[in-house]
Amino acid sequence: MNQFDQQWQKLTTLARKAADTRDVAAPFGFAVRVAARAATLPAAPPWALFERFAFRGLMVAAVFGVGAMALGFSSILSEPADDYASTDTVAEILDLS
Amino acid sequence: MLIMADETFDLAGCLDRVRLHDQAASRALVEHLYPMVIRIVRARLPRRLDEEDLAQEIFLKMFTRLAQYQGVVPFSHWVSRIAVTTCIDQLRAQQRRPELRWADLSETEAEVLDNVLTDARDETPSDVLAAHELVHKLLNQLNPGDQTVIRMLDLEQKTIAEISRITGWGQSMIKVRAFRARRKLQKLFRELQSKEKS
Repeated sequence: MNQFDQQWQKLTTLARKAADTRDVAAPFGFAVRVAARAATLPAAPPWALFERFAFRGLMVAAVFGVGAMALGFSSILSEPADDYASTDTVAEILDLS
Repeated sequence: MLIMADETFDLAGCLDRVRLHDQAASRALVEHLYPMVIRIVRARLPRRLDEEDLAQEIFLKMFTRLAQYQGVVPFSHWVSRIAVTTCIDQLRAQQRRPELRWADLSETEAEVLDNVLTDARDETPSDVLAAHELVHKLLNQLNPGDQTVIRMLDLEQKTIAEISRITGWGQSMIKVRAFRARRKLQKLFRELQSKEKS
């Protein structure tokens, strides 16, 4: 265990001793309010589970898209004449390259 | 935290009645689960946030997604997962994590940190509260997912398997998050030390 681990353990051991004495019972009227609101809400569709990942998924897809475009551009910008010469049978036979 | 205090509560019967839109059963379910939910909220969010609003959001999610509960895991685990992910989303929404400076610490917090860093003296009762606040200030510097892992590991003393069950994350992902978080905390410690000296 390194020095930081010892220091962090000491600090968290101390922090754990701080007991939270606040009341954990539901405040008066809370359950009534929540139950009433819940009754007015429609059930979440099954795909709602994936909603929280949708934006991050879109960002990852965008990064892949940009990466793919960058790779595509680099192959377009590379010397096309050389590529053509190396695959052109006539050019190879006549040694035009 | 996940074990219900009221062992006599008929959860299965209550859920059946909630599914039949019984308001009294919905109220009973909220009152039954509130202590567990509010402990999760309080452990993860800064005190300045309105914990009741967040608890309400968690319960509304629970009710609207009730049809998706298949009974594969205990109901309290399923609700605690909703609570943890809602807290993480709330922390992400806040986003603002200003740099922690030595001057941001109270006198007691600075003393506690100094004591921990130099191993100087035994703690006093006031150090306990200061250490609690200090740990929360340090954890607030981490990204929401990483701070959730460290809170559960080091403050709530949960195992990797328990964290995986509550959050739904894989065990290797939790280990990676814990490693990354500890490295960031170590950096924060070093920065605070150097700022104190300067």
